[in-house]
This record gives sequence, structure tokens and C-alpha cells, in this order.
Amino acid sequence: MKLRNGWLHLVKTALEDFKRNKVRTLLTSLGIMIGVLSVVLLIALGLGLKNYIKGQFESLGANLIIIFPGNISGSEDGGGVANFGSGFAGGAKFDEKDYLNLTRISEADYVAPMYMKSSIVESTTDKKIGSIMGTNEDAFKLMNIEIEEGSVFDKNDVQSRNKNGVLGNNIAEQLFGSPSDAVGNIVRVDDLRIRIIGVAKKKGDREMDNALIIPYRTTFASLNPDKTFFAIYLGTTNEDNVPVVKEKAKDILLKRYKKDEFSVTEQTEILSTVNQIFTIVNAILVAIGSISLIVGGIGIMNIMYATVTERTKEVGIRRAVGATEIDILRQFLTESLLLSLFGGILGLIIASLIVLGIRAFFPASLNLLAVVISFVVSSAIGIFFGVFPARRAAKLPPIEAIRYE
Amino acid sequence: MIKLENVSKSYYLGDEEVKAVDNINLTIKEKEFIGILGSSGSGKSTLMHLIGLLEQPTSGRILLEGKDVSQLKDIELSKVRNRKVGFVFQSFNLINRFTVLENVLLPTKYSKEPLPFDPVTRAEELLRRFGISERKSFFPNKISGGQQQRVAIARALVMHPKMILADEPTGNLDSKTGDEIINILKGLNKEFGVTVVIVTHEHDVAAKTYRQIYIKDGQTVDKYL
Repeated sequence: MKLRNGWLHLVKTALEDFKRNKVRTLLTSLGIMIGVLSVVLLIALGLGLKNYIKGQFESLGANLIIIFPGNISGSEDGGGVANFGSGFAGGAKFDEKDYLNLTRISEADYVAPMYMKSSIVESTTDKKIGSIMGTNEDAFKLMNIEIEEGSVFDKNDVQSRNKNGVLGNNIAEQLFGSPSDAVGNIVRVDDLRIRIIGVAKKKGDREMDNALIIPYRTTFASLNPDKTFFAIYLGTTNEDNVPVVKEKAKDILLKRYKKDEFSVTEQTEILSTVNQIFTIVNAILVAIGSISLIVGGIGIMNIMYATVTERTKEVGIRRAVGATEIDILRQFLTESLLLSLFGGILGLIIASLIVLGIRAFFPASLNLLAVVISFVVSSAIGIFFGVFPARRAAKLPPIEAIRYE
Repeated sequence: MIKLENVSKSYYLGDEEVKAVDNINLTIKEKEFIGILGSSGSGKSTLMHLIGLLEQPTSGRILLEGKDVSQLKDIELSKVRNRKVGFVFQSFNLINRFTVLENVLLPTKYSKEPLPFDPVTRAEELLRRFGISERKSFFPNKISGGQQQRVAIARALVMHPKMILADEPTGNLDSKTGDEIINILKGLNKEFGVTVVIVTHEHDVAAKTYRQIYIKDGQTVDKYL
């Protein structure tokens, strides 16, 4: 009872002072607010993006080997992260000949070229942005795409450049109301009119659920005049064959390209590279965010020193009526703690609103870690930067303090 | 009640030692109503701060109810100030951002033990006694000097102290209001047996006390000249 009363008095005193100095309180906590806001937001964006990319890869089938242009994983020289930037830009441009050469690897059960482009997909009534994938019939096996309505296209469709396509679940619902209504209908992409022959089951993967998968030769008309591919996927049903397939694929490609113009990677390698990159990027971003937290803390310290000076006489009065040094210390610490927590909570609220706002088009996610970090960090800053001014107040000689005007 | 034995207090102004209180021996008995009279700079305020344990003596002993309090630690000193002594100052020293009632309640917030009385009831009773209960929600800078000094006396009394130390309590008041304040203090002494020590430089204020101590150059003298 007594203790609770004491804390109530401290909190009430602090809040009353905040009320009297609204502008100053707000400006002081602004520094912490911006710090917490940026750290929480960076964590949310970083984790969201990382999980998104991880999910993209994990939704692909097992025993998957992906051939990218450029040196992406750098498994040869171990410089994976360093080389990532130069990855897709330079290097080989795979064409149909590469794909056909790779199909000759007997251990590779599936081989699929992959052309990708974001484009507007129109029905007669609506239009949506979809990811156009030009590939072959093996892709459905490679990427674990199951069909909810209709069927997939076959080898003949690819060879004859038939304008048959499979729609992702989301985009089918958005354009036609339901997957079953989509089958048999026509969508327009650029100047192509594609007949929907199947709709995929929901994968929970934004890209796949908004995909329009068409035979790669069909894209050669107007979408892909260069007739090149973004990547070539190979898959084996037997995990033991993965190294052989990789070796053979390298040998085949080396006949046309230099060693650093392409990379042959397994899904797991890509995942670890992505993980590595995001860990570093996240750490850098959080470090930058922390600088504003420290600056905010110094702001609090500055204001608390001013508050102590302003209230020197009050400290003297409190000491005269029986406040101990610890009581005074506690009073000012409570104030700086509340000031900092106020900023922290404000920052957390604004960060949550931003995350909610951008969720529609960016895979940001807030987690418990971010909430805990905001509270712990802002309390720690309030206490750390508040303790010096509070100590000064506590150590004021009562008589000198009470005479201070 | 309180006994000072060879108490000195010196300050350093640069390298020069200034003896504000110089070897004073003094006894204040329980229920006394006493005046400490001295000109400004005589050391009378320092003496009051020593009696009230706001300052520690450089040398000598201070005995409060027979117990040496001159070497106590901050926590114990604060407890004595909180429980046994009430201060009244010349410039009232109320906290302007708190209401009258909150100011009176301030000492109760620093009690480390449960109080044997309800703080709010006690504070309101004191405000009523001093005729300022309708001012309890006012802020100190909105009431007159006489009323502020009554609030300060209520604050000094809220913890049921044994002793009130008043440092020039009439210094910022006109003579009529000043007289009223002295009469309040006199009443407290008479009615409740509270020991009252008034520090002043005014002879006619000191003349209203039952015993006077004269201070000059930090020492007690027989007669104030």
C-alpha cells in the first residue's frame, strides 16, 4: 500500500509536469520516438522481406537445381555476399538451345526454362498485375503446382505455341470471381489472348498465386522477342543425383559460357546466401536506427539537466520535509523513464500503423521481438541517460537548494 | 528535547574559513516557545539549519532526545526531518505546481512507515483550523502571503512533529499578518505543546517568545546589542 502510494505520487508528479510542458515533453520524446520507430520498422521490413524470399524458395519442390546468369552464389570462391550485386546484371543470357542441351542430362528428370515478367492481365471486366511465367510442362512438377480446376498445358501446347495458360488462385478469383469461372475464359496480356485451361491451388505465395503460367514458346511472339530466359530449373526425383546433375549442367554450359557467367545452385545454397545477406543488411539498418535512439537519449539527458536546475528549490523543499537522496533520485528517474517510454510507445504505435498500411503491397510483419525491444530499449535509455541528471539533483545540498531562486 | 554541545559550523570562501556557528552550547526543552535573535549574517539561520538537521556540524555534538544525531546518514536524517521537525520559511517555500492540499500532504509522501492517521483528513483539518480550507484546491501563487504562510505551517504540522522551526516567518509579511502568524505559532505551542523555535532579526517578534537567545558572530551572547 505504502509503496504503491509512493510510486503513484512519483508518476503523478511526473505526469503533471508533462502536462505543464506539453510541447517540451513531446519534443523530448520525439527523439526516442523516431529511434524506436526506425528500429521497429527496419526489423519489420527486414524480417518480412527475408521470410518472403525464404517462402518463395521453400515453396519450390525439393532436389531443385537452379541455373542463374552471373555469379550469384559464388560457391567457387566463397564470396557469395560480395558478388550478389553483380549477379543477375552481367553474365549469360540463356536461350532455347541451352535449355535443349540441358534436357540431355539423363539424371535430370525435369528441366524447365523460366521466363518471368510482371504485366497487366485483363479479363473482359477487370485487370490485375500478374507475374507472367513462360515455361514448360515440367515446371508444374518442379514447383509443386497443383491444379484446383481444369488442367495444365502439355508438351504439345509448348511445341505448337498454343495460347493456353494456367492462372494462380488469387488472380483467378480477382478476375473471374472464382477458379471454376476462370476456366475456359480468355485473358489478355499485351497483345496475346490466352485461354485459361486451369487454375492452380492456393500456395500462400504472392508471386505464384498471382501467376499466369504459359508455354515458353508462346512468349516468343511479343512478350519475349529476345527469346531468353531468366533461369533454367532442373529437378531430380532422386536426391543422390543432385551432384551429378550439377556437374553435367556445368560441363554443358561451359561449352558456351565462361565460368563466371552463370551459376548452378541448389535451393539450399540460395537460401543460405539470402539469409546471410539479410542478416548483414538488417544489422546495418538496426545500427543506423540505434544512432537516433542514442541521440534521443542525449536529448532526454539535456532536458532532465534543465529540469533539475529549474526545480532546484523544489528539491530543497522536498529534502526539508523528509525526502531522502534516493527519493529525489527516484523522482527524476521516473520522469526520464516515463519520457522515454512515452516516446517508445508512440514510436511503436506509429510503426505498427505503417506496417499495417504497407502490408497490402509489402510483406512486412511486426513480431513480439519488436515490441519487447521497443519497451526494453526505451526504458534502458530513459534510465541510463536519466541517471546522471537525477544524481545531480539527489546530491544537491538541501540548504543551498532551498535558497536557490 | 534538543541539546547542542560545542557545535561549530564553518564554510570555506575560497581558502578562507568562515565560522558561521562558533562553539555554541544550547539546550531547547520540550514545549518551549523560544526566539533566536540576531542580525543578518550573525549565523542564526545556520544555527536553525543545524537544529533542524538540514546541515551537519563541522564539530561538536547535537543530541535529539538524548541521541547523538550529528553523524547520522542521509536516510536517518531524512527520517528525523520527516517525523520530528517541521520547517516554516521566510519565503514560504511552497511548490507552486501543486495545490494547497498537495503541498500540505507532501511530507506524508516521504514517510517510510505506514502513517497512524489518514493524511487527507489530517491535512484538511489543519487547513480548516487556519481558516483556509476553501483555498485547498488553489495553487500557492493564487493566494495571499499570509495564506501561503498558513499553508506552510499546516505542512510543517501534518506529520505531528515535536518541534517547529520558523526562519523569519514574518519577514515577507506586513506587521498585522505577521502578528497573526506568530499568534498561530503561539497557539500551537500552548494547545498542543509543540516546541516552537522562531529565528528572527526583529526585536518585537522575539519579544513575543518566552525565552530569547541572542546570536552574534556565530556565538551566543548575553544581550543583543
